[in-house]
Amino acid sequence: MKLFQPLFQHGYARVLTETRTHSPLSPGLFSFNSSLPTSGFSGYFDLSVPTSILELSDSPTKLHLFFSEKNKTRVLFDSLFLSLEPFYPSFLPESISSSEFASYVEHFLSLSNLPQQIFTLPVTFLHSPLLSKILETDCSFIRLIGLPSLFHNQKLLSSTLSFLQTTLPPDIGLYLPGPIPPSFFSFLVYSGIDFFDNSISYFISKNGYFLTHNSIFPIDKHPQCYCPYCVGDSPDLFNHNNLVLQNSLSQIRFSLKEGTLRTLVEQNIHSSVTFAATLRYFDKTFSSEFRIRTPIILNSPVKCVGEESLHRPVIVEYRERVKERFSPKETARLVILLPCSAKKPYSFSRSHMLFKKAIREGSKGFHALLSELIITSPLSVVPRELEGIFPTKFYDIPVSGEWSSEEVELTADLLLEILEKYPEDTKIINHTHGKGYDDIVKIIEDKKDFEVFSTSNTSSPTSNSSLIQLKEAIKQALTSFDSLPKSKDSPLLNQLRATADYQFGLGIGKVLFPQNTKVRGKYPQNRQIFVSGELVATLLTSNGFLSLQPISAQKIADLTQNIIEFGAEKITGSTIFAPGCIRANEEIHPNDEVIVKYHDKVLATAIALVSGKDMNKMTSGQVAIVKKKVKVKK
Amino acid sequence: MKINPSFSEMIYSIRQKNLPERSYSKKVIYWVEDTRLRNEKGKAIVFILPTKGCSWASSKSGGCSICGYIYDNPIEPDYDAITDSLKTILQEKIEIDLAYSIKLFTSGSFLDKKELPLEIQKAILEEISNYQNVKEVVLESRPEYVTDQVLENIAGSIDITKVEIAIGLESANNMILKNSINKGFFWEDFKKAALRVFEAGGKVKAYLLFKPPFVSEYDSIIDVFKSVEKLAEIGVDTVSINSISIHRGTLLAQLFEKNQYRTPWIWSLVHLCKSIKQNFPKLRVICDIVSGGNDRGAHNCGSCDKPLLEKISHFSLSQDIEILSNLDECSCKKEWEGYLCAEKLTLNEVEKNLSSIKR
Repeated sequence: MKLFQPLFQHGYARVLTETRTHSPLSPGLFSFNSSLPTSGFSGYFDLSVPTSILELSDSPTKLHLFFSEKNKTRVLFDSLFLSLEPFYPSFLPESISSSEFASYVEHFLSLSNLPQQIFTLPVTFLHSPLLSKILETDCSFIRLIGLPSLFHNQKLLSSTLSFLQTTLPPDIGLYLPGPIPPSFFSFLVYSGIDFFDNSISYFISKNGYFLTHNSIFPIDKHPQCYCPYCVGDSPDLFNHNNLVLQNSLSQIRFSLKEGTLRTLVEQNIHSSVTFAATLRYFDKTFSSEFRIRTPIILNSPVKCVGEESLHRPVIVEYRERVKERFSPKETARLVILLPCSAKKPYSFSRSHMLFKKAIREGSKGFHALLSELIITSPLSVVPRELEGIFPTKFYDIPVSGEWSSEEVELTADLLLEILEKYPEDTKIINHTHGKGYDDIVKIIEDKKDFEVFSTSNTSSPTSNSSLIQLKEAIKQALTSFDSLPKSKDSPLLNQLRATADYQFGLGIGKVLFPQNTKVRGKYPQNRQIFVSGELVATLLTSNGFLSLQPISAQKIADLTQNIIEFGAEKITGSTIFAPGCIRANEEIHPNDEVIVKYHDKVLATAIALVSGKDMNKMTSGQVAIVKKKVKVKK
Repeated sequence: MKINPSFSEMIYSIRQKNLPERSYSKKVIYWVEDTRLRNEKGKAIVFILPTKGCSWASSKSGGCSICGYIYDNPIEPDYDAITDSLKTILQEKIEIDLAYSIKLFTSGSFLDKKELPLEIQKAILEEISNYQNVKEVVLESRPEYVTDQVLENIAGSIDITKVEIAIGLESANNMILKNSINKGFFWEDFKKAALRVFEAGGKVKAYLLFKPPFVSEYDSIIDVFKSVEKLAEIGVDTVSINSISIHRGTLLAQLFEKNQYRTPWIWSLVHLCKSIKQNFPKLRVICDIVSGGNDRGAHNCGSCDKPLLEKISHFSLSQDIEILSNLDECSCKKEWEGYLCAEKLTLNEVEKNLSSIKR
């Protein structure tokens, strides 16, 4: 059994907890001194310098982990061992020979109590086939050596970190020893490092460092600090530095929990050119591996401030899902392109209320023919049906009216893909205004023979004249569809279906929600959804997603990818553990609502704790929390 | 136990590159300094005899990873000049009312017949034996040259109880001898030589190297500790802890230049002297620090280096442990504590990490 259990995963970052008590340990900081207070540290290395021969022993270096008094007695282990000094005395990481590594691995495997042993991995041996031998064991903790020498090589750094995270199961703690400035922490946690130490705090003599959260100053020249350690006659720089490290990690732990780590990373990334470049490599080259480990069912703000935001995993995932899973309602024949609004969901903004009014007046009874697409960056295109989900309801961007060429390109690409989904005779009304929008529409017109009618090219979309133009244009366009039968439109049903498709796969919406679907409850309450008098699902206002009743799970169990295959006929308790999870679909994201099956039988719905890929890699610990079990008739 | 061939090859190639450029003098270099005799303070006259140098360093095995003394030795030695100038210097420098130790260093092995023929060894020692106030004669040698024949030759020239054979053991850990130093001999060879010296009536001094390459400072402290324990066990009564300094043209110098090695902290040496003396009160503990206070030798932050170095040399002379107690605390002592741990945990990558932070 492994010592650690990831209870939350966000990309490569995660919260590691002790397996039995679930006390959170990572992202954490180790100290080198047993006499430092435990708060703010996850543990300490017992590395005092011996002063007597009596203290000399061949017992291993110990890493003691800190737990609360209450948990202390219940934990699986409270310490780890550095039993072997792997390459002692031998070459530096870069010149360790493969035979030395092989003999280290062999020695390591012969140690007793492997879950408690610290394995030392030089990054140069990441691709060694011997690593898999270690991963087959319950080894729970890896000390990573040589990573800082890649801090100037963005390509190698991103491929190394990515390889590491996709190779190791998520329940192995990764410790990066040595002096690391706190401004690097958020990026390193984001790329999968769980533990650091406070060695940089010690550099406080005349050549040392004064740390702040985002910078590092020479000790003889630094800004005044007003922390309790700095005020007074003899400032305690060591403890000041410790405090900065502890607070930096605390902020990271907080944003990890809140789901805003990526925003923090984008803020901090600019302290290092290499890290900024590495993040771009991550986003462009290793996007899919990263995305699959990123939760998409969240309710945290998505602040898209930098250029990096365009390629955020949650945003890219959104675009991919819309591309693959969005299908317009069958009756749609007229697409209206609208600008976004600062207020979310868009419908609640003043501008969209005006648009809605104009559209309602223009379409008189033919509303079922209309389909609204909101053009925005960095999400590109938001169909009206999906305006209430994460991330569309939660993103925010600084609006300047300027579109970068990349934004234009990405948006046009997705818009084209979506427009392809409509029938050939579909007409398009463009009710946006500004150069960026014009560029996008121009690409659409050039690439495909879409006829786009603009209603807001002379003045702002909310101006009276534009709104009148919009109304008239809709009227005009609808005349050509006169022959079509009038059909009733139900925006809420469309929203439910689109959400279900987004969440569980294309086509699921129609299976779950037939025409006779009834909704009880009013926004902002959660809405309960009934079919033939039976509760089938709940639409959660917090994140805009669906929570399924077992009956719905049974309906879609053969259609969706969100499936965990369980190893027994009955689930006892409320947790799915790794050994019980025979196979998880590798498309599952952490936080996804999943269906637990035993052969063809649906047992329960559950919430995934880690990605499906990682569930399959884990050998112990929790992988999902059961939500609702299927009642068994006696 | 055998040497590590690939390691030795690496060192040999560095040697090949640097040997042709050596600059040397054929003059006998000497100086007079204060020293610790077994039971009292005294003066030492230290001679550097320009022999052809260390047989190990000039062999195909490349010699030790840390030692560049060979670059100072002449290719062809002039033995007559050596004995003559030694004679003159002794006459000039020895004062009647002081106790002396004569230290004969060749940057190689005094006892190696090929480096100093037996008759030259004899001539030198006989010359020294003329001076009654010379209490100790220190001869440096690798253990393989400590043979019965050579010891008999010594015993025939001088009172052998005055003779101390100084052997650069560096570490009693064979893995360190093999993989960090390429010493070419092992603990067992040393032990055999030491026992042979004891049997002949002489004394043995062991040099221990503080912080060989690839060994973290923390581990080296422990290694010195363990080595001292082993030495005391077999009856060695003098240990000289030699803090490393960077010699040009060595493997160590290459590591140093690539930021992969930091020369030792003076705090470590203070700690070692103090705790070894506490644990082995009868042992004579000498700590010799070459280029102390510089980047290429043992150093701290720069502010506290000088006073600490002085304290250590006072301690070496007086063997008084009190000198090393109650030292002024410098902010870098904290840094030293952290450095020890960080260096151990990163497999000696701290210097590199730090240089990447500073960018």
